Amino acid sequence: VAYVAANKSSKQFKYVTMLYVVLFFLIFSLYLYVVLGGADYGAGILELFSSEENQKITKRTLYRVMGPVWEANHIWIIILIVILWIAFPVYYNIMVVYLHIPLTIVLLGVTLRGVAFVFRHYDAVIDNSQKLYDGMFKVSSLITPIFLGIVFGALISGKITIAEDPGSSNFYEAFIKPWFNVFSLLVGLFFAGLCTFLSSVLLIGESEREVSKIYIRKAKIATVVVFVLGLVTLIYGGFFEYVFIKNFINSTYAIVLMLISGVLLIPLQITIQKGRRVLSRFFAGLQVFLILIAALLSNFPNIILTEASSISLLEDIAPQSVIKVLGISLLIGGGLILPGLFHLLKSFKMIKILER
Amino acid sequence: MENLDAARLQMAFTLIFHIVFACIGMVMPFFMVVSHYKWLKTKEQIYLTLTKAWQKGVAIFFVTGAVSGTALSFELGLLWPEFMKHAGPIIGMPFSLEGAAFFVEAIALGFYLYGWGKLPEKFHWFTGVIIGVSGVASGILVVAANGWMNSPTGFDYVNGQFINIDPIAAMLNPAWFTQALHMVLAAFTATGFAVAGIHAYQVYKKRKVELHTKAFKIAISFGAIAAILQPISGDISAKDIAKRQPVKLAAMEAHYTTEKAAPLYIGGVVDHEKQEVNYKIAIPGMLSFLAFGDFDAEVKGLNDFPKDEIPNVAMVHYAFQIMVGIGTLLLLAGIFYFISLKRKKWLNTNKYWLLFVILAPLGFIALEAGWIVTEVGRQPWIIHKIMRTKDAVTPMPGIVFSFYTYIVVYLILSVAVTWLMLRQIRVLNNSNM
Repeated sequence: VAYVAANKSSKQFKYVTMLYVVLFFLIFSLYLYVVLGGADYGAGILELFSSEENQKITKRTLYRVMGPVWEANHIWIIILIVILWIAFPVYYNIMVVYLHIPLTIVLLGVTLRGVAFVFRHYDAVIDNSQKLYDGMFKVSSLITPIFLGIVFGALISGKITIAEDPGSSNFYEAFIKPWFNVFSLLVGLFFAGLCTFLSSVLLIGESEREVSKIYIRKAKIATVVVFVLGLVTLIYGGFFEYVFIKNFINSTYAIVLMLISGVLLIPLQITIQKGRRVLSRFFAGLQVFLILIAALLSNFPNIILTEASSISLLEDIAPQSVIKVLGISLLIGGGLILPGLFHLLKSFKMIKILER
Repeated sequence: MENLDAARLQMAFTLIFHIVFACIGMVMPFFMVVSHYKWLKTKEQIYLTLTKAWQKGVAIFFVTGAVSGTALSFELGLLWPEFMKHAGPIIGMPFSLEGAAFFVEAIALGFYLYGWGKLPEKFHWFTGVIIGVSGVASGILVVAANGWMNSPTGFDYVNGQFINIDPIAAMLNPAWFTQALHMVLAAFTATGFAVAGIHAYQVYKKRKVELHTKAFKIAISFGAIAAILQPISGDISAKDIAKRQPVKLAAMEAHYTTEKAAPLYIGGVVDHEKQEVNYKIAIPGMLSFLAFGDFDAEVKGLNDFPKDEIPNVAMVHYAFQIMVGIGTLLLLAGIFYFISLKRKKWLNTNKYWLLFVILAPLGFIALEAGWIVTEVGRQPWIIHKIMRTKDAVTPMPGIVFSFYTYIVVYLILSVAVTWLMLRQIRVLNNSNM
């Protein structure tokens, strides 16, 4: 009996370990998508809000910096989605059923943006069609992160009503209301602002002294925008008693993390002025990491909040055998991919400065 | 339009689009590394020019394939949430590995495209090989997931619940190998003939004849070998389907009545009402032989299956005829190509090049027809004998609007990519090399 019990507890241990491996990769790929994909979206937004002269400079820099890595940057969202549907099918199901419309807009944005990026850099003939590609690229760079943020905002807004048969319920209530509201829009704008902030910090280190002044100015504007939008979101959510925001404000961890993230603006400012590119990127990335962790921690393990209930990342999950196999696959896949990815980022500029 | 029909059409439409780009993105890297290898060996400038021209093609198709693939990974859930809720965890294994393979491919592509003159020569070439190998691995893994829909394994289905899930057994389902083999060969055939056809047209038009002849030879060699091997894989598939999905086989052959020594119908017009096939050529006993290796074996007809478990017979039958017909034609073309290597003077005739121009689109038509056989032939099931497609569709009404949006966007994309390719070729022809 003791043997069986020990065997069982060792199996349980393996399962729990693998569950945490899966959760780690879920948050890891979410973070990397936010930072790497985010900086990529942000570059398009920067271009959109630049003078014509600066647009040309940004376009050139962007191609040099992002060209080799942007495809890899965007695969994180696929990894994220695959982990969600394998390990957290209930969560994934709610997302795809109730947020069908904003997700479709995200997809169209991702498609048009990716295609525009390639077209404008690989078209053999440079002519007026470049204007069309640029326009497509810039607009979809803004719309896609806003709608990604809207999707996240909707998931935590508590406005989703889980119905027995959503098809026969009121269309507006079931499929529009959860995401078409001020709160979700605020989260969307906040995320787009964050992307712009990340991108401008990245591009500061990639340009000549004169040009980098443009991005320093943009980075300052983006910081103010992100701060204001974040504050407005918190005030709005607190005023209208959004559960997620209430938990967020009442969570000591979340507040402390947000404060640290704010204080990090000082070393960020100093490192930028001193031209320490790696450190400045590290601080910007760390700030975003702290914001993300604060948001996830304040309500963990409940990441979807609906009208009546919440969906827990620890409870409504796939069977143990699935989690175990997924955990092992992720470890193997990660072992294959991460060294290659690191080398790629290192070889092509993104972190090449490490060697200087 | 019904929600179910709109969802099925949208899925079919995006898959039809994605498959073309995915296949080219999967196979063209092989052409590219062969040309690259020849450049390293011979240092003939022409191979370098060709490699660089092809790498642009690979980049454009990779991205188009990647974004349409990203869209599909969402669409699976957006259109079929009930399917993904239950099947997602079970077939997660091939999808997570596919994600990894795809990631490796993207990393290798980054190295390859931007590595000219920066990486050691051999390592740089090798990253190109990795692009191809991981591309094919992705393809195989995705097909394994589709195989599971045709032959669901790795779970027990009790009272509407999926229990005792074994993700590895689900991935290694009985259909994965036959389907993956057939698909990989089809991808090489289709891409080989398509790329060869494009270069054949340039030779036909007397533009940069030396360059395009070399390009043609590399592409057609892959296509011809795959086309010659494909019938073997087709035979394995037919015997497999006869065992696993007899109703699909019956629909492919529009075979209505159960009989021994069943004849093989070639062509013909299906009259589903009267359960007849008119204007066909019938070869006695051949269907029994192809399905079971015995001319007298009994082949079950459509009438012996429940009425609500039969797919659209006419569509499956026609698609199957198109696939087999083109497959046979390309097999002959493949043999013809190898004979032409011994008859050098054929290459100087315009007709020779025109022939391969005409063959260019056929491989992809056959490939799409083959997927119509597999997917329409699987209906009404989304998971064979477990879950019906109509029970898996999203509860959100109005999918038809999403369908129209996708049609518009994807059609524009197709036109744009074609236009971009034409510009690449024009610039290549006008260059000094």
